Amino acid sequence: MLPVSYYLIVAAIIFSIGAYGVMTLRSGIMIMMCVELMLNSANINLIAFASHFSQVNGHVFVLFSIALAAAEAAIGFAILMSIFRSKNNVNIDNMNILRW
Amino acid sequence: MAVDNIVYLIPALPVLAFVLTLAFGKKLPSGGGYIPILAIAISCIISILAFLQIYKTGTPIEVSAPWFSVLNVGILIDPLASVMLLMVTFVSLLIHIYAIGYMAHDPAKPRYFAETALFTAAMLGVVLSDNILQLFISWELVGLCSYLLIGFWFRKPTAAAAGKKAFLTTRVGDVLFLAGIVILYSNMVEHVLPHITGNETVYLLQFSTIFENIHHIPSGQLTIITLLFFGGAVGKSGQFPLHVWLPDAMEGPTTVSALIHAATMVTAGVYLVARTFPMFIASPGVELAGITIPATLTVVAYIGGFTALFASTMGLVMNDIKRVLAFSTISQLGYMMLALGMGSVIGAAAVGFAMFHLINHAFFKACLFLCAGSVIHSTGTNDLREMGGLMSKMKITGITMLFASLALAGIGIPFLKIAGTPIGTSGFVSKDAIIVEGTYVFAHMTNDWIPFAFGILAALLTAIYTFRLWFMAFTGKPRQERHPHESPATMTGVLSVLAAFALVFGMLTFVPFLDFVGHTYDHHEIEHLAGLGGNHIIDHHELHHIITEETSPIIFLLPVIVGVGGLLLAWVIYNRRWINVASIGNMKNPLFVILAKRYYQHEIFIELISLKFTYGVLALTSEFSDRKIVDGIINGISSFFIGGAEVLKKIQTGVVQNYATATVLGVGLLALILSFRGVI
Amino acid sequence: MMDYVLSLILFIPLIGAALTLLFAKSRESARIVALTASAISFVLTIMIYLQFKSGLAFLEFQFIDKIPWMSSMGISYYLGVDGVSMPLILLNAILCPLTIIYVWGENKQPNQFFALILVLQAGVFGVFMALDFFLFYIFWELTLIPLYFLISIWGGPNKDYAAIKFFIYTHVASLVMVLGIFALYFSTGVNTFEIPVLLQAFSDIASPEMRVSIFLALFFGFLVKMPTVPFHTWLPDAHVEAPTAGSVLLAGVLLKMGGYGLFRVLLPMMEGLGPYRENIVTLMATLAVVSILYATFAALAQKDLKKMVAYSSVAHMGYVMLGAAAFNYMSVSGAMFQQFSHGLITAVLFMSVGVIQHSVHTRIIGDLGGLADRMPKLAFLMMCGFMASLGLPAMSGFVAEFMVLTGSYLTLPTYALVAMLGIVATAGYHLWAMQRAMFGGYNEKLGEPHDLATFEMVPMAILVLLIILFGVYPGSVMEMFEHASTIIPGVMI
Repeated sequence: MLPVSYYLIVAAIIFSIGAYGVMTLRSGIMIMMCVELMLNSANINLIAFASHFSQVNGHVFVLFSIALAAAEAAIGFAILMSIFRSKNNVNIDNMNILRW
Repeated sequence: MAVDNIVYLIPALPVLAFVLTLAFGKKLPSGGGYIPILAIAISCIISILAFLQIYKTGTPIEVSAPWFSVLNVGILIDPLASVMLLMVTFVSLLIHIYAIGYMAHDPAKPRYFAETALFTAAMLGVVLSDNILQLFISWELVGLCSYLLIGFWFRKPTAAAAGKKAFLTTRVGDVLFLAGIVILYSNMVEHVLPHITGNETVYLLQFSTIFENIHHIPSGQLTIITLLFFGGAVGKSGQFPLHVWLPDAMEGPTTVSALIHAATMVTAGVYLVARTFPMFIASPGVELAGITIPATLTVVAYIGGFTALFASTMGLVMNDIKRVLAFSTISQLGYMMLALGMGSVIGAAAVGFAMFHLINHAFFKACLFLCAGSVIHSTGTNDLREMGGLMSKMKITGITMLFASLALAGIGIPFLKIAGTPIGTSGFVSKDAIIVEGTYVFAHMTNDWIPFAFGILAALLTAIYTFRLWFMAFTGKPRQERHPHESPATMTGVLSVLAAFALVFGMLTFVPFLDFVGHTYDHHEIEHLAGLGGNHIIDHHELHHIITEETSPIIFLLPVIVGVGGLLLAWVIYNRRWINVASIGNMKNPLFVILAKRYYQHEIFIELISLKFTYGVLALTSEFSDRKIVDGIINGISSFFIGGAEVLKKIQTGVVQNYATATVLGVGLLALILSFRGVI
Repeated sequence: MMDYVLSLILFIPLIGAALTLLFAKSRESARIVALTASAISFVLTIMIYLQFKSGLAFLEFQFIDKIPWMSSMGISYYLGVDGVSMPLILLNAILCPLTIIYVWGENKQPNQFFALILVLQAGVFGVFMALDFFLFYIFWELTLIPLYFLISIWGGPNKDYAAIKFFIYTHVASLVMVLGIFALYFSTGVNTFEIPVLLQAFSDIASPEMRVSIFLALFFGFLVKMPTVPFHTWLPDAHVEAPTAGSVLLAGVLLKMGGYGLFRVLLPMMEGLGPYRENIVTLMATLAVVSILYATFAALAQKDLKKMVAYSSVAHMGYVMLGAAAFNYMSVSGAMFQQFSHGLITAVLFMSVGVIQHSVHTRIIGDLGGLADRMPKLAFLMMCGFMASLGLPAMSGFVAEFMVLTGSYLTLPTYALVAMLGIVATAGYHLWAMQRAMFGGYNEKLGEPHDLATFEMVPMAILVLLIILFGVYPGSVMEMFEHASTIIPGVMI
């Protein structure tokens, strides 16, 4: 059995990729995907600890988290759809009407 | 009924008249003018009763009640106050009667009579005060009335401006006076209060308390206090350099000029010095030709003498009939101050001389002003150059004014004395006394002839300008189109009474008056007080000795010589016209220019001191610092924060990614710092 | 009833304000409710004024009303009066009904307007009555709110700037003051906010630096309120923009809170200042004299009549500070009387200016002219007010200034003499304004003004009569002040 640290390293790498994508990418869809990556990295951690400590709590949390990710994706894509309708693209840089 | 119980009515009745006239004047005939006349008449009668009582018993009337703190209100009628009281009520009464006719056509009569009634009350307050604070309060109130009455015709901008100038100029003096009171009070608290024992209530600013305790007050303080008091007197009595308001004050109705700016209010300064004379005489001395004389009284003498001369030079060239008289008033007030200043050598007798001249002056100057009022009333002009030949049309006015002019010029017969009384107009009697028994004796004792010279030269100029006025107005050819007429009986009647007083009052009362008033301060031991300051004053016998034994006849002759000489000179120039006035009195003659411009006082006082310095420098600097510096700092602080916010708000880009980046970086940085410090 | 009479006086205006705001929608009913409320307060005030016992010891109060409130911190609802506060309560009780009568014709949202005046009155009553620092601070802040709204809703063209400046200035000052209060509370350790207890405990604080810091923090709070140069510039701005009623109450009673703080809190602390006392006195006297002269000259330069009057207020409050700094019984009672007298005088001045503004629509002195011709009643009353303000004897201002100057000369001679230099300039700007505005030919460009309406004339005439009354006979008000100032510990008799 692999030590738990291996899972954690993979999760950290995936999280970092996701966080980097959220910070740098322009396309709304890509950002949504990166958010999913970050969520999934957290899921990996939860599962890893759950199996390591032989407890079921982590599995429950992951199921919650997947459901939540699905809901989030649905709302997020709906927002992106309406942005696309009004702007004809999903470039986040154009969406700065909330500034000062 | 003792007079003591009703003396408070003397000022109270005119106050009542003020209120009644103000409230109901519009509905009454003559603007309610009869109310103040009645009130002042009663006051006058009570004053006579009070005078008779004092004259008989020789003890002053004193009534006093607590006010607040250690201060009191009270009435003191001693000889000094009683003669002043008689004069004020009597002259005020006459002028009120005259005003019924003079103001007949003015729609604002109720206001006029209300204000003159209030003035009379306040002036009586000055005279009757038994403490210095109450005197100051009344003193300020007469100033207020003067302000209101000068600006009586307030729609005329010059009248409003003159009122303001009068108030402000006298205010300078008033502040000095107030400072004097403040310093006196602190001295009383510090040096006198510890010496007062017993349970009796002591009012610190009461004259009797002050005079009895002069020896406790440090002499240096006394000099300051008396100088400050004199500063107040300078302002009120139009002495140099605060005389500038008095000529302008002629913008008011002529009756006001006669009442306030000739007979009563302007003499308040003289009265103040006379009232506080024991303090002046006790101030430390200066040495002059081997004799020590009180320093502040010497200042009084010099300022007074200089003013007498200085003002009369300007009187020579004025063309406004009232301004000539105004300068003459300043000059005569200077004589009174000069007389008081002579007290440095002759002691309390000087108070008698000054007060005697004050009373005589009130009669003849009020008469002159009222004559001038009568002339203005009928010709409609103030300008002497437009008058002339009025004698044929206005006989009574002309003759009464001639009598008053003779009095002002001091015409009389020298050497001739009946029962100690010289023969001459009242102006002669009193002015002669000041020059000979005052300034000459001063010169005799100290070898200082300057006050004497002031007195003689001013007397010469006085005679010239007086008769210049009379000749220009009443003789020669008429120089105008109007048809002058004699004034109504209320006016001419008053003129006649005053002219009679101007002629004979001096002769009738000379000896008893000086005897009565000169002994006002007997119980305060003037010689002893003088000794406090190291001064020596001569007593009655020494004075008599110097006058009778050591005075050459020329000294007695000189005042009359200059008087008659001035009269003749005026006659030659303005009646016979043997000398062409225009050749001297034109704008090419620098001396004439200086006189006609009144020594550039307007430029100095109004433009330089008031406008340039006070407004231009002090006021605008304050305003500038308020707007730019104080508010500038405050607004600067607020705009610093507003500007900072303007910059900082740029961070809010509105792009969510940037916020996310900042969050990640922030957390990363935090983690890094914590790990370096070994926390994680 | 005497146990809770102070609470009645205090809360009746507040109840009146609530009634006015909620139920009196029309102008007619609003003003009647407001006047009734403040009139009841006035009658009750007269009642306690007449029953006031003189001759009590220092920190002994009358008509005490005390209910525990937040006991754990030693906060209680604690009211009481003594000779320092009684005449000021009277002043407040006199001025508010008169102001309500004066603004009888107010048209813009009258019910809110009258309600705010009543709240202001209650706040000021509270400040003068509170004997608990916590309560004191609550009422102190309470007065800000109605005045802020009076300026920002009923004010002139630049009202926002003025209102916010007023608010920030006084609020910052009261925050510093509250710091001082907390410092006093914690460093004495008596676990109570009662003013008398804290004042007595003040000198027990060990470190003199701490005592001075507390003193200065409180001083700063009062200083800005009075106001004193250089923290005065909010006042002219606030006055210029405020409606007349706001100005009358601002200058008439609100500024007095600063002076009241001096007498109630700071003067009893003077003894405890130890080695720093000389420096504090010098600071106070310097600020006072600078205020007097600086504000006088600034007034001389003003073109707006109302601003000129505002600066004259700063100068007059300088006398209060001078009298307090001199710290002898004459100067202190003079300073207290100056507060009382200035409240009456300045009300007349602002009312006059309000009438001018109302009837010819300008206050610029140079644009006015000859108003006495068309408005003789106004001219008469305004003349009385101006004469009182320039310190004419027989009016209350003179009594106060004379006592302050005389008293100050005893302990601070130089400062007193320098302060006197301002007297002529004071007369100067008053007379100049009178001459330009009232005298001369009437300026026809101003249209046809109407003279005073009855509801404007009555309050002004009453105030003028009171000014003369207190000037001729300072009477019981002066006696209360004199006694109150004699019993302050350490005061020079």
